[in-house]
Amino acid sequence: MKVAVMSCIHGNYEALNAVLSDIDDQSADKIYCLGDLVGYGPHPNAVVEMIRALDIPTCQGCWDEDIVEGLNSCECSYPSVLAEKRGKQAHEWTDQVIHPEVREFLAQLPLSLRDDNLCFVHGSPHNQHEYLMPEVDAFVALERVLVTGADILFCGHTHVPYVRSLDAGQLQIRVKSTGTTERDVSFSAPLKRIVNAGSVGEPRHGRPNATYVIYNTDADQITLREVEYDYQKTCAAIIDNGLPPIFAWRLARGLEFAERADDPTHVCER
Amino acid sequence: MNDWAILSGIEGNLAAYEAVLADIKRQRQPVEELYILGDVIAPTAESEQVIQRVRSPQQNEPMPQVCQGWWEEQLLILHGLGRTGEPTELIERYGITMVKTLWDAIPREMVEWVRSLDFGLFELDCLLIHGSSVSVSDQLTPDTPAMQMLDRLMRMEANTLFCGRSGLTFQYEIQQGTVTSSLTTLDRSNSPQAIAVKPRQVVGVGNVGRLPGQASYALYRPNSNQVEFRTVRYGAGKGFQRASP
Ligand SMILES: [Zn+2]
Ligand SMILES: [Zn+2]
Repeated sequence: MKVAVMSCIHGNYEALNAVLSDIDDQSADKIYCLGDLVGYGPHPNAVVEMIRALDIPTCQGCWDEDIVEGLNSCECSYPSVLAEKRGKQAHEWTDQVIHPEVREFLAQLPLSLRDDNLCFVHGSPHNQHEYLMPEVDAFVALERVLVTGADILFCGHTHVPYVRSLDAGQLQIRVKSTGTTERDVSFSAPLKRIVNAGSVGEPRHGRPNATYVIYNTDADQITLREVEYDYQKTCAAIIDNGLPPIFAWRLARGLEFAERADDPTHVCER
Repeated sequence: MNDWAILSGIEGNLAAYEAVLADIKRQRQPVEELYILGDVIAPTAESEQVIQRVRSPQQNEPMPQVCQGWWEEQLLILHGLGRTGEPTELIERYGITMVKTLWDAIPREMVEWVRSLDFGLFELDCLLIHGSSVSVSDQLTPDTPAMQMLDRLMRMEANTLFCGRSGLTFQYEIQQGTVTSSLTTLDRSNSPQAIAVKPRQVVGVGNVGRLPGQASYALYRPNSNQVEFRTVRYGAGKGFQRASP
């Protein structure tokens, strides 16, 4: 069976269409979506309507949550202060144009989905806003998969796709507690993987193409897909709708505008 | 460097705290630092006296360094100063009447002090905190899965995490570990790399005030990374009082 997983569409209807037809060409049997249907892009309503029409199981992304709950997360939701300011403008625009039934749909999305030994989340199992960057410590990464009980954890949110394999994890522990004898415990974990699905509508891997992944369960093989589409159309719509032009600039380049999170694993306590 | 005494959960029990302070003074190796990992208070009238005692140590006692515990957080929530708006957890655990009991037990003028407390303390390579790096409610015990323990340590880049939420005394050492990691992106594929974990530990420091007549706490020697647990019995019939004639 082929499972297609996509994330971070961000109101980019052109990119979504291109990815859906590529999924069709690859003859995938199932599609999952990891959220961030809205935000940054010019077509939030059309994107949500398409996802609903196709009945694609979707978890709630950080943007979907913020549109429902209002922006109450701290600046740590964004990789930098500048990104935060621009993000706020995009949030206000999206908040204004979004249809009430679309908001309702976003509100009822689950935080995680499960299919056999596969788990699907937006950021991390602990928090929608946590960035599981590819360089996160291997043990931290392993904990994120183990906490779900699954073998493969699919996430998005960073907008750059990757496959991280964590094999033969083991820990040696000694526990001493008052009133009991000292005991040695060893822990081991078989192969676990984190698969980041990248971003359909706001890629940041250095090219403007949409990205998503396909998991072939029979061959146990993961393929990172990169799909060309007419991004200029989306760029024009961004400008026409009065969204910050920087979003069009970076969409055309597939860049995060050279800004990095200070502490990618930081989770807001608010 | 001299020893640290680390304790948690006085829970408004003055006699228990006095007994621990006396035990600390009896140590052959002088105790230089005193850390209190929260739950100084509980919904008891004595909590006010305990706060006063903690804030004004005697001349031969170290000035305690205190962080917030579960009860302090509940109090701040009641006063609209917490991280969440509603005292949901307090009501779930103790029922709705506890809201008033806790509110009445701690005078308003004490709330400012509670508010001034840090969420956790970081000294040398040690994190000292009530629950864990996740929350004050996060309860770490000798049975907590190893990966979860490691996660709590790594979140704050700590080699030792002292905590008090469970009330248990335990030393949980992660002695060694490895995992083989490999990464594939659109543009490159890294060959598998063996990553080792450096030894780290989580220490449960016991509880001072919950159990009448018996307090537990931990002594830590930073130079040698040695942990010792102390159990102190106090009160009537525990041998500290002179027999009446
Ligand atoms: Zn996103
Ligand atoms: Zn996101």
